[in-house]
Amino acid sequence: MERLIIAVAVLPLISALFIQLFAGRFGRSIARLSVAMTTLSFLLSGLLLALAISGSENLAIPLGSSAAVLLFDPLSTLLATIILGISLIVHLYSVRYMAEEAGYGQFFVLLDMMTAALLFMVIAGDLITLVISWYLVGVILYFLLGQDTRSQTAYRFAFWTLITYRLGDFPLILAAALLFNAYDTWSLTIIFSEVMANPDAHQVLGLPLTDVVAALIGLAAFARSAQFLLHTWLPYTMDGPTPVSALMHAGIVNAGGFLINRFAPVFIHSSEVLHWIFIVGLITAIFGSLLMLTQNDIKKALGYSTMGQMGFMIMECGIGAFSLAIYHMFAHGVFKGTMFLSAGGVINQAREDDGIPKDELYTFAVEKRPNKARYPWLLMAVVTLLVPLVILVFAHLLVSEDYFQKQGAIVLLFFGWVTGAQLIFATYKMRSQNVWRLVGLSILSLLIVVLGYVFISHAFDQFLYPDAAFQAQLYSAANIDSLSFDVLVVIVTLIIVSGWGMTYFSEQYGHRRAQKSKRLWLNFYALISREFYVSDVYSRLSRTLLRMSARLNVWLRWL
Amino acid sequence: MPDLLSILLVAIFLPLFPMSMVFNAVLENMKPNLRVLLFILWPLIGVLIALNSEFVIPRWLLPLALSTSLLYAIRLLTLREVNQWTGFLATSTWSLLWLPVIEGNSAELLYGFATGMSVPLVLLVLLAAGLERRFGAAYTGLYGGLARTIPRYAGVLVTVVIAAVATPLFPTFFFMLDMVVETISTTPSAALVLLFIWLFWSWAGARLIQGLIVGRASHNKIADMSIASISFYSIVLIVLMLGGIYLAGAIL
Repeated sequence: MERLIIAVAVLPLISALFIQLFAGRFGRSIARLSVAMTTLSFLLSGLLLALAISGSENLAIPLGSSAAVLLFDPLSTLLATIILGISLIVHLYSVRYMAEEAGYGQFFVLLDMMTAALLFMVIAGDLITLVISWYLVGVILYFLLGQDTRSQTAYRFAFWTLITYRLGDFPLILAAALLFNAYDTWSLTIIFSEVMANPDAHQVLGLPLTDVVAALIGLAAFARSAQFLLHTWLPYTMDGPTPVSALMHAGIVNAGGFLINRFAPVFIHSSEVLHWIFIVGLITAIFGSLLMLTQNDIKKALGYSTMGQMGFMIMECGIGAFSLAIYHMFAHGVFKGTMFLSAGGVINQAREDDGIPKDELYTFAVEKRPNKARYPWLLMAVVTLLVPLVILVFAHLLVSEDYFQKQGAIVLLFFGWVTGAQLIFATYKMRSQNVWRLVGLSILSLLIVVLGYVFISHAFDQFLYPDAAFQAQLYSAANIDSLSFDVLVVIVTLIIVSGWGMTYFSEQYGHRRAQKSKRLWLNFYALISREFYVSDVYSRLSRTLLRMSARLNVWLRWL
Repeated sequence: MPDLLSILLVAIFLPLFPMSMVFNAVLENMKPNLRVLLFILWPLIGVLIALNSEFVIPRWLLPLALSTSLLYAIRLLTLREVNQWTGFLATSTWSLLWLPVIEGNSAELLYGFATGMSVPLVLLVLLAAGLERRFGAAYTGLYGGLARTIPRYAGVLVTVVIAAVATPLFPTFFFMLDMVVETISTTPSAALVLLFIWLFWSWAGARLIQGLIVGRASHNKIADMSIASISFYSIVLIVLMLGGIYLAGAIL
């Protein structure tokens, strides 16, 4: 077992070393070695995952006599398999995709190093290995994004990524230093067991250590997972090679969710940190989705879509659904990886046919003319609101009878209901020969998705957190008092329902909209199109710093 | 009085502002082949004097050392001449050696830190000399495109810059990590300043790399680094990395 887990992490490193040394001798065929090593590593990680599923004991494996420890547990084996699976697909895709590019061998060296860094990150059993791999992911990503060394733009945005990642390293380093000072060990297993045994044993600046560490871990996760205000690097890093975009959006950006899961024992003893994590995730989900809808560049739209998804993932952690965040990262990784890797095919297809439909959807979205003919509105509204709710409640009751005792579960259900209703609503708005058939198919797909989602996420719950008491503690750490919770649910419901009402009325009476409100919408659109001026503020700040630096140099005569 | 003189002397070799300007003035006026010696000996002299003097180092030197390091880290951001850049980075890193001196770390560790911090800077000085021979100047944003023109040279340059700006697994990384661990409980503000200094090093390093390696290939044929030179740099960097891991074992 020990050798197996070490081999999984070390094989990509060996591959990187061999390619670096022998790329000149073997030419482009050296990529096959990289693919073979990744395949082998993937198979071994699959074996480890099978062992973990079959109930093998968790292990902490020390690396020689050093403080470095590797972990064999459900979280590490599952994520190692996911990382290697995505990495293998990216490797296979890159063999031909990158064939015409300069620095072919170097690309595979970096890809292997990135795979190794990610693997060490998820199997790290001590804080030093975790900090080192966390740090290195940012550095290697910088060079992967700047694979085209002729492009100043690629490097400019790779630089944004590097700086944001470095900012995200700070809190993790601080958290590691605080934990080491408190427990006098780097071992995560020992630290977590001591936290579980006596969570209030240490304080920092008058605050409980668990609260401070949880907040710092949350901040580190925010930077890595492009949460609002730390997101600007994500939509702009599209000048890198497509396989790198796929790896980044499918794997690297999910690291925030992993980190929060890894520190779950700390989070269950933190008082309000999970609530803040939920709020940040919610804001990110809303802003990411809003910005995605207003982009005219499809790659930037995909970038903002990832931001929105990361918001959902962090939000899931904030409500205590930690294992669901892992499932979300897996599902989103596969989905977004597929989208990026098929981008080339879509572009080719678009060259032959622009694919813009000349129907009501086109006239509604582009020419801003509302559709006139409609099926009975009230009937559709009832179907829209009730069907998803029934499906969701039914599916959740199947897996757990006490499901509705958890606040986090109700929040998830709520979001599921809104999303399902939105799906049916959007389907209804589409013009079709047979609208009922279209709605029926949507409901059927919703049923399949929801059932699959509920059963798989339940399985993830059982696998990652088999201890029911620990699972319950996670949910209760995220709870707020019942009255506030009920008031929030009512307010959010009212906002969403009034949003639907506004959509209906704007369709019915849109042409009568007053000039004043049109101007308001236009200003709002301008604000969104400038992406809330976040990047502008950062650019201004960095220019100011550089001006200050230059002025200091002149004043001090360059000495 | 002798105490103050000793502190002033150490403040020249483990640079504290404004005495830090002495090192940069010496560097500017020094012949290229002597710079290597300067980068190796300067901090070691500082550590030697600090360890052999009997003065009690006042605690107020800690904020001064951090401020010096921060000042030079910020000034590093807009430097374009590689030798000057290396000199400022040296000033910024060596001034942090005051922290273990104040904390009373062992002599072996201090010498280890000083050497581990200086070796990447020495390599950078050698690489700058190579650029001066090839292009007439070692200056960012002037010619660019080294990754296409002389890819082997660019590869080594990037790795050396990475080592110099405290990236894992090089010694300066473990030094910074250790300093954060040591200061976080007693003076959390010092730990935060350390992290910002670290960030500015990364920022400056990225600007240096971008100013040199990014861009189109030169039309002129320029000799790339020889295999023997690559082997030399690789061996030094591997030894440096192993040294970093060894230091990590001793301090963490």
